[in-house]
Amino acid sequence: MIVGEQKSIAEIKNIVSPYKKVLILGCGTCVKTCFAGGEDEVAVLASALRLAFKKDGRRIEVEEFTVERQCEDEFVQESAEAIARNESVLSLACGAGVQAIARRYEKTPVLPGVNTTFLGVLEKHGLFTEECSGCGDCQLAVFGAVCPFTRCAKKLLNGPCGGSQEGKCEVDPDTECAWSLIIYRLKLLGQLDNLRAYVPPKNWCASGACGPRKLIREDHVL
Amino acid sequence: MGKQFIPKITVFHCINVFGDGEFLLPPEKQDAAVEFIKLPCSSMVKDVFLLRAFESGADAVLVLVCPEGACRYVEGNLRAKKRVGWVKNLLDEIGLDGGRLALFNVAADDAAAVEQIIVQTLSQLADLGPSPAA
Ligand code: SF4
Ligand code: SF4
Repeated sequence: MIVGEQKSIAEIKNIVSPYKKVLILGCGTCVKTCFAGGEDEVAVLASALRLAFKKDGRRIEVEEFTVERQCEDEFVQESAEAIARNESVLSLACGAGVQAIARRYEKTPVLPGVNTTFLGVLEKHGLFTEECSGCGDCQLAVFGAVCPFTRCAKKLLNGPCGGSQEGKCEVDPDTECAWSLIIYRLKLLGQLDNLRAYVPPKNWCASGACGPRKLIREDHVL
Repeated sequence: MGKQFIPKITVFHCINVFGDGEFLLPPEKQDAAVEFIKLPCSSMVKDVFLLRAFESGADAVLVLVCPEGACRYVEGNLRAKKRVGWVKNLLDEIGLDGGRLALFNVAADDAAAVEQIIVQTLSQLADLGPSPAA
């Protein structure tokens, strides 16, 4: 899932301050799971903003609404009436959701309330870890399904750096060394020979370095 | 002369701490408005309930939970504690003073402890004054 974190109240207050009527728009998919922008977070933020502005002696109308997914126009359309009633939208979706809303409602300022952070996994309740960078050329088959491109601090593709200690990364002792995990997993799978094969440098174009990527599924396009 | 400050406290409590409580406050503390909201378990006190209590004019909000290790639902009081800590930080961020929100562990039917907590909160409010967002 896409993992994000709500911005601080101070930053959000600053972003919405030019407007008297703000719609806080939640998204019921990824950002709901990581407690950044689902219906509950929309309610908490709306209440916190009302209190913050009232404390400052300012009145602001804050409306709340949540759609299933802000990155799909079909769901985005459901917010049309609520958006029309307000001067601006504070979206609690990931950056893609924010842009999808802005694209449909061109004349309404659409503001981000979340810092979109990474593609990750819910490791346990309340703990999310980064696992994939969406590189466009997945090599997990070689690495025992542990991504060095994302999880090795130096993005090394042909073995560890030599600074790994007791399975921890030298860059951050609280993080597991990706290469230690890769070797552990390849041993379990009986695939240590994978390490003998040279992995060529990554084609960064597939990772987005040559401009925004587009995926077309011809069979679904009319 | 400004309006007289009548402190308003909202108390969320687990029904296992007490059911429908009648509490005796000392005569000098009786001009306070204390509202009790009972919950089947303290873990049901969502962040937004605490904030909405402040929006409704509370000067302080208390959450009374069972002692640690004594929750009928095992970890309800621990979840409530985490949530109260989170909202206290949020209140500090807003500039409302996280000290206006507090959680206390109270043994079942210990009315004297509840009275003591309310009296103590009223004394703190005498110093803090009304909520700037009430
Ligand atoms: S190799 Fe690329 S697609 Fe595969 S997990 Fe790593 S970043 Fe993601
Ligand atoms: S210690 Fe491991 S994860 Fe850290 S930089 Fe070196 S190889 Fe990568």
